[in-house]
Amino acid sequence: MGKTLLKKQKQLSLVFFFFCLALPLQAYIGPGAGFAFLSSFLVLFLTFLLAIFSFLSWPFRFLFRLIRGQRAYQKSKINKLVIVGLDGLEPILVEKFMSAGKLPHFSELKKDGTYKHLQTTTPAISPVAWSSFMTGTHPSKHNIFDFLSRDPNNYLPDLSSARIGKPKRILSLGKYNIPLSKPEIRGLRKSLPFWKILGDKGIFSTILRVPITFPPEKFSGHLLSGMCAPDLKGSQGTFTFYTSDEENVKKREEGITIPVTIAENKIETYISGPENSLLKKEEELRLPLTITLDKEKEEVCLEVSNQNFSMKKNTFSDWIRLTFRPGLGMKIKAICKFYVSQISPHFEMYLSPLNIDPEKPALPISHPFIYSVYLGKLLGSFITLGEANDTWALNEEILSEKAFLEFTYANHQEWENMFFNALEKTKKGVVTCVFETTDSIQHMFWRYLDEKHPALKSPQASMSSKVIEELYQEMDELVGRILDKLDKKSVLVVMSDHGFKSFRRGINLNSWLYVNGYLSLKEGKTESDEWFKDVDWGKTKAYALGLGGIYINQAGREAQGIVQPGEETKSLKAELAAKLNGLKDDENGATAINHIFDREELPPGPYQENCPDFLVGYNDGYRVSWDSVTGKVNNIVFVDNPKAWSGDHCIDPRIVPGVFFCTQKIKTDKPSIMDIAPTALELFGIQVPKHMDGHPLIDVQNLFSDQKGKEK
Amino acid sequence: MWIFNSIFGKIFEIIFIPFRSLSPWVGMTLISLLTGLLMLLIFRYTSNQEGIRKVKNKIKAHLLELRLFKDSLALSLKAQGNIFRSNIKYIGYSGKPLLVMIVPLILILIQLNFWFAYQSLQPGEITILKVKVQEGQNILDLELKIEPPRSLAIETLPLRIEEQQEINWRLRAKEGGLHSLVFRINGQSFVKKVSVAQKPLSRISPLRVRRNFIDELFNPGEAPISKDIPVKSIEVKYPNKNMNLFGWHIHWIIVYFALSIIFGFALKGVLKVEI
Repeated sequence: MGKTLLKKQKQLSLVFFFFCLALPLQAYIGPGAGFAFLSSFLVLFLTFLLAIFSFLSWPFRFLFRLIRGQRAYQKSKINKLVIVGLDGLEPILVEKFMSAGKLPHFSELKKDGTYKHLQTTTPAISPVAWSSFMTGTHPSKHNIFDFLSRDPNNYLPDLSSARIGKPKRILSLGKYNIPLSKPEIRGLRKSLPFWKILGDKGIFSTILRVPITFPPEKFSGHLLSGMCAPDLKGSQGTFTFYTSDEENVKKREEGITIPVTIAENKIETYISGPENSLLKKEEELRLPLTITLDKEKEEVCLEVSNQNFSMKKNTFSDWIRLTFRPGLGMKIKAICKFYVSQISPHFEMYLSPLNIDPEKPALPISHPFIYSVYLGKLLGSFITLGEANDTWALNEEILSEKAFLEFTYANHQEWENMFFNALEKTKKGVVTCVFETTDSIQHMFWRYLDEKHPALKSPQASMSSKVIEELYQEMDELVGRILDKLDKKSVLVVMSDHGFKSFRRGINLNSWLYVNGYLSLKEGKTESDEWFKDVDWGKTKAYALGLGGIYINQAGREAQGIVQPGEETKSLKAELAAKLNGLKDDENGATAINHIFDREELPPGPYQENCPDFLVGYNDGYRVSWDSVTGKVNNIVFVDNPKAWSGDHCIDPRIVPGVFFCTQKIKTDKPSIMDIAPTALELFGIQVPKHMDGHPLIDVQNLFSDQKGKEK
Repeated sequence: MWIFNSIFGKIFEIIFIPFRSLSPWVGMTLISLLTGLLMLLIFRYTSNQEGIRKVKNKIKAHLLELRLFKDSLALSLKAQGNIFRSNIKYIGYSGKPLLVMIVPLILILIQLNFWFAYQSLQPGEITILKVKVQEGQNILDLELKIEPPRSLAIETLPLRIEEQQEINWRLRAKEGGLHSLVFRINGQSFVKKVSVAQKPLSRISPLRVRRNFIDELFNPGEAPISKDIPVKSIEVKYPNKNMNLFGWHIHWIIVYFALSIIFGFALKGVLKVEI
């Protein structure tokens, strides 16, 4: 016993001895420890310097602000304005669930503050509505009328919100085109967002994932781009589907399908990346991907971009960082998630769109540029794609309903994390976040609320209306958590840009125009493939593109226009409006189109000429058909919508208002989405610019008067 | 211990063989690279890599916070506090690899000290030869004889310092080579190697010690003196050697420290080590 103790003591003294010796041994701390100590020392040194700089410069910055007359918050009536956008939250469902006592926090807001329907824009499409939200103007003043706009020179679609072009100056060297200037990234939304006006007066804002904020504009605050921010391929979200099942290798409307072959439980394939614009002859960048299957354990091991990781079947991977190398030592970073849905008898795997890595963004997705880096470092990788929730993967039955929900709620959690971080950091100013979770889930699961929906016949449809009910309850809990974080001098607005209705039947407007003699096909053709491939423009008077627009093929405007401006156009429009207003569905006699909105009747603005000549107001149950959106033409006007994408809002805006909740009472019974921007300005004591079409909603003189006695 | 020292010393000899005639910078660069690699591997397998990655990201995030919220004094202070907290956590994560690394590092440093800290005597150069005698021995009566080879000369009679139990001679180097000084005491003999005009990168052992774990650990250049002999150590005072960088003389350990860390940082990406 004594000997053992002595032995142990000796061992301990030996360890202690080595440890002590390391210190006097010429004070050397070795490379390993050196790494840590050196890094720590540098960080501490940098922090110390920054701290000193921060302390010393603060009085000067404070003085500078004073001298510039930006005593920002002096006229402000509130400390903080929090705007939570729940894209597509439908008032009828909100009211139903509130009545059933399932949304206690929304009910509390209604009782103590305000609940109203929120008038949306014409058309009732998210990019249009959110642009009106931020600018306080009608679409003719902000220039966004749809997701897509058309190029009158070639009748092809363009993204309406942003243009990404090649660099203007290029050095040609061998097989490379070396860019000497930045690529052109230009936002097409016009007018000023309210946070820019606030920022100019020194009011700080954090704007998270509001649609049509790509590319991010400079202002005094932080912004993370939302809807319309592209993926690494420059698209709005291109997933990849790997399958060893030859029967499942078919042409899909969206996404890329890569057939794979299994050899000795191994698959050698690739990840399809962006086009290599460094090369004169552009070609796709690819990353080798090796997949090893373990059929017994229902597990796969993936090897890509110098990483190895294992995944169980039916689970999503974490965000995986990929590095594409276009050449000349350049690197393009992306993040993505994998999901293996089947290992045997066939292998099937989903790869999410390649998101721009927030920590190393290939394109600017935030303002300032470092803001996305900061969020990535603080909270971990997050989805950066504008249309984040992969509705097309569910539409194409690549992801199951369960997997889609899992992915969507994981994205939502990331947004909540950044939202609450912003809320905590903003003591004074604006915090705005748009959650598209509500929009995506309702688009894909609305069929469960509509017993007559054709998509219910799909074998994939295995869930119930509970999905949407739970979604509303989740959002209610979110509102509850936000209310808990608010101080006495803060105002909360919870709103949606539009509501939702069933999308049972689709109308191919191009087919209707063809059948009725307004659109002609090339000789011998009875139908046209997408993007008007076989349309005879020399004989076509009108065509439809996008989610709700009809254009007159006008001479002098369209490349091959034949309808003269003035009387001829006017008379054609009157003829079309007469025929389309109240258009009935051949099959059931129901009214499919409530109203055709002539752009001349809509509120005017400097960009009115970019608006389609007509915006179509579909009735409940109808929407433009999938084929019509992409310029396909045939003889069939009305078709069933068998897709999981079964709810929509691109219809008559009068029947899809959004919701408006506020902790304060408001002055009107009919608030509009355009009223939010002027309301925000007035709450901070800033005069509303005359160009804004909306009006302040809150009576700032009686602010917080109703809250006495209700404080927690 | 001597067996271990011999093997470990041989490894270094083999590593340095091709570089012995070259500038010590070459050998130093190589050994720093190898050490950097070894330490990276130890770091990779003994540290919490995921934890380090996360805490480093947090530090970077809070540093960015200082820039993003520069107008808010409160947030800047909070960010600074968070940086300090995360830094402590980061240092904590380095504790385990540090403990694991410290043993091989000490052994490496001891070896390197004999290669880079001393330079051999030059022909004609005079130095001091010291023999420390065991406690309890009467140093004044002790019969200790030296038999120098022809290439070395003992120039003085022994100087006996009773208080320090030490006998000193003046030694002159005459010819180049690794020479053996033979000592005779009480009918027993032992040897001390003396380096004269050796190659630029040579292993030089200034001290031969009596058999004792700690003394042997720090003086592995020569076999220990037998316990039967009443001598504690024999020392040849060699001139110190420094690394010459454009006329600037730097202690070898500083060079080693800097290079091994530079190599470590340069290779961490290749070896996928989070440090």
